[in-house]
Amino acid sequence: MWPTSRGSGSARVALAVVVTLASLARARSVAAQSVTFTRDIAPILHARCAACHHDGGSAPFPLITYAQVRQHAEQIVDVTQRRYMPPWKPEPAGSGTFVGSNRLSEAELSTIQRWVTAGAPEGDGAALPPPPIAAGWQLGKPDLIVTPAEGFTLGPDGTDVFRIFVIPLPTSALRYVKGLEFHPGNLRVVHHANIRIDATRTSRQFDDADPAPGYDGLIAHTAVYPDGHFLGWTPGQVPPLLPKGLAWRLEPDTDLVIELHLQPSGKPEPVKPEIGLYFGADPPERTPTMLRLGKQDIDIPAGAAAHTIRDAFVLPVDATLHAVQPHAHQRARRVRATATLPGGQVIPVIEIADWDFRWQDVYRYATPLALPKGTRLDMAITYDNSAANPRNPWNPPRRVFWGQRSADEMGDVWFQVLTHDDRDRDVLLAGFRPKILTEDTFGYEREIGREPRTASLRDSAAMLYLELGNVAKALEHFAASATLQPESAAAHFNLGTALSLNGRFDEAIAELRRALALRPDYGQAHNNLGSLYRQRGDLPAARHHFGEAVRVDPANAEAHRNLALLSRDGGDLPAALAHYRAALAARPEWAPAMTDLAWVLATSGNPALRDAGEAIRLAERSHQLTGGRDPGVMDVLAAAYASAGDFARAAATAETALQLAGGGPAGDAIRVRLELYRQRRPFVGR
Amino acid sequence: MTAHTRVVGRCILFIGLTCLAPAAGRAAEAVRVQSLDGAPVDPLQLPAGVKAAVYVFVSVECPVSNRYAPEVRRLHERFAAQGVRFTLVYPNPAETPAAIREHLKAYAYPVDAVRDLTHALVKHADISITPEVAVFTHAGQLAYRGRIDDRYVNLGLERPAATTHDLADALTQVLAGTPVRQPRTQAVGCYVADFAR
Repeated sequence: MWPTSRGSGSARVALAVVVTLASLARARSVAAQSVTFTRDIAPILHARCAACHHDGGSAPFPLITYAQVRQHAEQIVDVTQRRYMPPWKPEPAGSGTFVGSNRLSEAELSTIQRWVTAGAPEGDGAALPPPPIAAGWQLGKPDLIVTPAEGFTLGPDGTDVFRIFVIPLPTSALRYVKGLEFHPGNLRVVHHANIRIDATRTSRQFDDADPAPGYDGLIAHTAVYPDGHFLGWTPGQVPPLLPKGLAWRLEPDTDLVIELHLQPSGKPEPVKPEIGLYFGADPPERTPTMLRLGKQDIDIPAGAAAHTIRDAFVLPVDATLHAVQPHAHQRARRVRATATLPGGQVIPVIEIADWDFRWQDVYRYATPLALPKGTRLDMAITYDNSAANPRNPWNPPRRVFWGQRSADEMGDVWFQVLTHDDRDRDVLLAGFRPKILTEDTFGYEREIGREPRTASLRDSAAMLYLELGNVAKALEHFAASATLQPESAAAHFNLGTALSLNGRFDEAIAELRRALALRPDYGQAHNNLGSLYRQRGDLPAARHHFGEAVRVDPANAEAHRNLALLSRDGGDLPAALAHYRAALAARPEWAPAMTDLAWVLATSGNPALRDAGEAIRLAERSHQLTGGRDPGVMDVLAAAYASAGDFARAAATAETALQLAGGGPAGDAIRVRLELYRQRRPFVGR
Repeated sequence: MTAHTRVVGRCILFIGLTCLAPAAGRAAEAVRVQSLDGAPVDPLQLPAGVKAAVYVFVSVECPVSNRYAPEVRRLHERFAAQGVRFTLVYPNPAETPAAIREHLKAYAYPVDAVRDLTHALVKHADISITPEVAVFTHAGQLAYRGRIDDRYVNLGLERPAATTHDLADALTQVLAGTPVRQPRTQAVGCYVADFAR
């Protein structure tokens, strides 16, 4: 670079002469070592740069041949010395290598520097190694290629643009996805892509509300990483195909959601990405878990030059760490994550000393890190919200809160971990879900404070509170949503359902009736209203509404099961069996209906209705589906064994059920039956 | 091209001397650039009525240079009526007139373009980067040389919006007949030195 030569004055002249003499001396010594493009530089550039810097690649110019590279030689020295290129942000941490690590070694940096100082000689051009780049799909021919129905035109001017596209996936059966390759369609302007899966219609509704192709806004809460797998694209990175047994499930009628980070080029640019999906025959054997550590109550004072947020989580089970992805916006400067083992040893997970929100990769460990039970994961992100941070979106700086828009701030580190089995995964999630849901509610409350009249934010927040068991807060937001959209049947349905969970049955009935007045064929409203009437003892009204629910939707498994319960309680076991079978026809692997049906088949007082074989088959499957830990299901399984005369297994199963159930009335009932099995007698009900 | 490379190679070694050579030291030499048709053009000879000339050094494949196209159009629109003439200068000899014409069209530049094959104007104005600008007064004096604005702090480090508008400020001061307060600034972008290899 030339800056030392800028300006005038004798001091500068003297300095320049010294530099010149030093350069000459260096040039002579290097010339002796004869660094050449062909032998020394091409192998470095081809390995480190060519993934993007090839003809048609995502970088602005190719760096394959001597003619191409010499036109950028000075610049290559500058950007590599500053480590702007190749864009590899993690510091060498010592916790293992990341797949695709692209950090230049000191020796490589020095070789490039020496080559340019020596005048950038070519060497033997005929010996140039062949360029390493294959055109087209890097993972092979995809099984399915999708693209947005319409392309988008990016304007010529301004700073970063974020645009979200929703692509319905035309799959008619369950697929196991082992890979996804993203082609940006316009390499000049597509800087990176966040990719999610939405099994609901929420993202599509956002898209429909924006008249131009795609939409401008936020990724919906319902658009998620599938089965604990990262999806996304950054230049030069192609995520490898997933190993056998680790595919993710793609249900039919699912939407692919793609958020493109676009940088205007100076002229209007068409943007139409392509996504290739790779399917495998093997279902997943294990499912990874995403642990997102971070804060949503971020509040950084204007001018704060080093504001740090921290979060931590202690693993309740053994796990292995497979990948990590930090996420923050423009004020973040430094990201750190560590794992503190139970013995106290601190393992650096990732450190990014010069955070740049434009280079947000997923970092995958070449060898997963073993994290024993009791390991504490820590994250810390430090922000510079002062005027000295050129990336600060506000000048002069302003106080900033959490938010998904790029002028707000975020601060998360995602850890992708794998447990020994699904049972451990359940334990992990049981410990982790409340933590992340609580953090999410902070974010939603912040968004709602900003947009108090956006009903969808209220609905999403209410659902989080329901899952957290905070029915009062859920009610508050569902009530606000119903007030904001009095003509929405769904809003009144949600409010009614939450009221019933809170024991406010009269108000719940009134809200569900409002929902049905707005939409008479609202099957779930009929079903829930039926349940309320059943709870109040108004069985004819209950039967009427359950009947309406299956009339408008014969595949409403819940309503069939409710009709079965009414029939069973009324002593009409043949009708109960018919409704259980209808429920299972609509939803074949639904454990509650399987368990109920097994109970009737195992314990009916009418021997003509009993079928011990089918009862065992159903109860065993339900036992499997519920992870082998549900005492209610095991009680039914024990009764099924006893019905078949297998009292030893019945007693053993009932004993385990009793241990899991502990005390209380449920335990008492199991204890009574256990006594019967020990006396080699089955349990017979009505 | 080979001979040229050697000359510039030496220029790199004498980095300080070459670039410290003040514009005044070369003022006596005729500075010539080429029109896209190949005709020699004296960039310092301004027609009557042109109060100042802005030379915007650009290159076809430099992303930073290209991202400034809308800002150059805006400045042209703002200052052309006040007697400021904008000209694009393409200092990369590898960029052909056909490629330049295509570039002008793609980025909707409403101004003339010249090629600086020998880097005569590059040296005269001490230009090292694309995009970088040189502002000459009607009398042919270099009044400002450097960045268009401060949006780019470094390659890869960009402000959401510029906070100082160096070229616009310089033009305002030249038109007002006052000295330019910040006559030299550091531009950010691609290296002109590399184009000579």
